[in-house]
Amino acid sequence: MIKTSIFRRCTRALLLLWASWAAFVFPVLADDPAPKVQLSISGATPREVEDTTEKAIVRDYSAAWAALTKALAGNRAGALEAGFTGAAHDELAARIEQQAKNGVRTQITDRGHNLEAVIYTPEGSAMQLHDTAQLDIQVLDGGNVIHSEHATVHYVVLMTVAEDRWKVRLLQAVPGF
Amino acid sequence: MSKLGYILLALATCLFASYVAHAGELNIPNQLSSGQGFSIPTSGTGTATFYLIGPAGVIKRAVHLGDAVNVAGEETRAAGRYVAVLRSGDSNDTKVFFVTPGRPAALNFLARPSRVPTAKPDAISGVAFVFDGYKNLMLESVPVNFSLAVEKSAPASRTVPAKDGIAWIQMASGRSQGAAQFVASLPATDVSVRRVVQQVAGDACNLHMKAQAMAKTIVVETDPIRDCSGNAVPDGTIVTFTETDSRGLSTVDARVKRGIARAELPLSENATISVAAGVVLGNEVHIRWASPGNGGAGAARANLKFKDGIATDGGRANAEGSATGGRE
Repeated sequence: MIKTSIFRRCTRALLLLWASWAAFVFPVLADDPAPKVQLSISGATPREVEDTTEKAIVRDYSAAWAALTKALAGNRAGALEAGFTGAAHDELAARIEQQAKNGVRTQITDRGHNLEAVIYTPEGSAMQLHDTAQLDIQVLDGGNVIHSEHATVHYVVLMTVAEDRWKVRLLQAVPGF
Repeated sequence: MSKLGYILLALATCLFASYVAHAGELNIPNQLSSGQGFSIPTSGTGTATFYLIGPAGVIKRAVHLGDAVNVAGEETRAAGRYVAVLRSGDSNDTKVFFVTPGRPAALNFLARPSRVPTAKPDAISGVAFVFDGYKNLMLESVPVNFSLAVEKSAPASRTVPAKDGIAWIQMASGRSQGAAQFVASLPATDVSVRRVVQQVAGDACNLHMKAQAMAKTIVVETDPIRDCSGNAVPDGTIVTFTETDSRGLSTVDARVKRGIARAELPLSENATISVAAGVVLGNEVHIRWASPGNGGAGAARANLKFKDGIATDGGRANAEGSATGGRE
């Protein structure tokens, strides 16, 4: 009787221990958690942003940055396909190609984005946004860190409707808004 | 040497060490225009590695300290944030700077829709994206001219300032059908982009039909169908004739052919026939047998009596009358 009780208590304690361990470890193991994106749509003109579009922009912009982080860190231009198109895709792919050629990598720790919708075109196919991004950036040449900074970067972003999602067509850093 | 001398020497050594280890700033302007090359002076002796990390490329180059580092205009074509690093041993000199777009030189133009009814307010939208010669979005305010014109009619034209590189407009479609030339252009340059918006006749206006009794059927036929601007609706437009009598409802869809829709409906003793094209209702025609001597259904068409009116005025406007095989 006593043995059974001790066994049960031990089992419960182990389960609790495992659960608390898993809660901390599994998010770390998760593949590229999506960056935090906060979107304000109150300033968008001339068209009002629909609820579904608002959610889609947040989801797809966050996914695009996750893809960008992965692509720049691993010099894998293919990762850009998921979130970028047009000029943004071409420029980033060119950068990755030159990074790889020079043995350089860029590691970005994405601390989040404050997005503001500025223009939503009348027919609803393109949206311009202002992004204030908090980024920890490290540029590595081989194993050497050649540049490291925490930066607040302002981007003018143009997203357009692609096959089944919004994609970033332009990502242009500016000194400020 | 006194204690004070040692302290001062130690302090000077520390300051020198921190100066040597200090990551200095490269002599580059905070902002450059896209495609603008520049030169960075360096000092000292030996070799170093110069990196330029930009939005569309990464440069890595061995340099001799004391010589200037030259960056070609080709290497700063993409607007955005750049980081320049001069690495010598463990010492880094860095500079973050921005490349801004040059002069407006290109337009992307989206025009919607490709086909639009005539005389519809705000039916046509145009969005123009203004770029410099290196496909960087112009962020300065740039005027963009939009014009919409159908052949043989005066163009509607408006100038709109682009905000953050985007100018948009909503325009009414013209009154004439045909291929409208929708053009976005940059004033004082030869940059213009043309799109074609096909303007087609709008909904039918004043839809009107007449009916004629034949031996076994009633033939209904519209007048030439036009929109409110006088454009003939396109052939193939569906017109629906509906006959309501004591037996129920008979509906016939007819296509407009050479501007007119025509159909045959079952002969009925007392019926109301209406006509519609899309959401537009036309007139109604009421048919009733004159029943001369209980002539019945086999009577000649001369025995028909008609009463018609336009449904929109809430009553039967026209007087009843007799006709010989036609309508009043």
